[in-house]
Amino acid sequence: MAHQAHPYHMVDPSPWPLTGAVAALLMTSGLAIWFHFHSTILMLLGTVLLVLTICQWWRDVVREGTFQGHHTPPAQKGLRYGMILFITSEVLFFAGFFWAFYHSSLAPTPELGGFWPPAGITPLDPFEVPLLNTAVLLASGVTVTWAHHSIMEGDRKQAIHSLTLTILLGGYFTFLQALEYYEAPFTIADGVYGATFFVATGFHGLHVIIGSTFLAVCLHRQIRHHFTSTHHFGFEAAAWYWHFVDVVWLFLYISIYWWGS
Amino acid sequence: YQPQLLLIGVSSSDVFICCVSGIPTDEEQATGLEKIIMETMKEGKDPYNMLKPKSYSGTKEDPNIVPSITNRRIVAVSVSEEDNTAIVWFWIHEGEAQRCPSCGSYYKLVHYDLPH
Repeated sequence: MAHQAHPYHMVDPSPWPLTGAVAALLMTSGLAIWFHFHSTILMLLGTVLLVLTICQWWRDVVREGTFQGHHTPPAQKGLRYGMILFITSEVLFFAGFFWAFYHSSLAPTPELGGFWPPAGITPLDPFEVPLLNTAVLLASGVTVTWAHHSIMEGDRKQAIHSLTLTILLGGYFTFLQALEYYEAPFTIADGVYGATFFVATGFHGLHVIIGSTFLAVCLHRQIRHHFTSTHHFGFEAAAWYWHFVDVVWLFLYISIYWWGS
Repeated sequence: YQPQLLLIGVSSSDVFICCVSGIPTDEEQATGLEKIIMETMKEGKDPYNMLKPKSYSGTKEDPNIVPSITNRRIVAVSVSEEDNTAIVWFWIHEGEAQRCPSCGSYYKLVHYDLPH
């Protein structure tokens, strides 16, 4: 029986990296086609292909790890490094938007009136919905830690309850932000204030949705008994990502909502 | 990427457990290579070379044991001085203990089979 003598996971050939790359190509060129020729078909096709790739690729990772036992301790260590590196890259992604915000707000130009918020902008009151949003995300950080400890202690019921609560809190945040977006007296087109506000908070909101989805997948897997009390890295990765999303919000709140008002 | 070979007879992506508090343990649920490694490590064995090689005094009476799944294996010796600047690589073959060409320590190949 041909057998490996090492504990690493040499993955079987897979079509998903290729379909993912094609999806990225269709989405980006589709975006350009939409801008110039008012047709959305290419972009939509790319998005569908992206969703299919995501579902099938990560379904395969679950099969390889949970059902086939390929995630040995060294393989798991590699997955941990991977998630940490990915989150680090996302931190740098947001750093760019914070740089843009501080560049414009620390030295407001004469066109803005020489002050921040610029002339004509009524910023949102940081002590209303944004403060509630802060409390919601901080609470969700507590509930996700509760879920982790429940899993480690073998308590299925509490794990499911606290993970569900985490996802509901994430959904509540998204709902509140959507309302804020609808009611805001300024738009993305309102100069550099609007641009920095909506691009930074907009990408954050997208990450909340991604993080909530990741947690929802973990909830589904937890219900299906995939996780053991000592091996549940998928959940840990989701929890790390969720904490990252929470921390980004804290920076957004302090910088843009509070200091920036 | 493999077809659902391991899920024949199971209608959903469910995993069956028999555990009191509701969350299974690796003891109950680990499978495949993860399970093999878990069980052999409990016996103190390391067939998949996850740990650092054991060090021996390297004398003729107590040679460095080199485990191998065939009849030979490459050994890499870091020259054991303060400022390690070189690694000496050499084959060890089955049979009598051989000596490192640089430092003269003894190395002996010992065959073992992978668990399966």
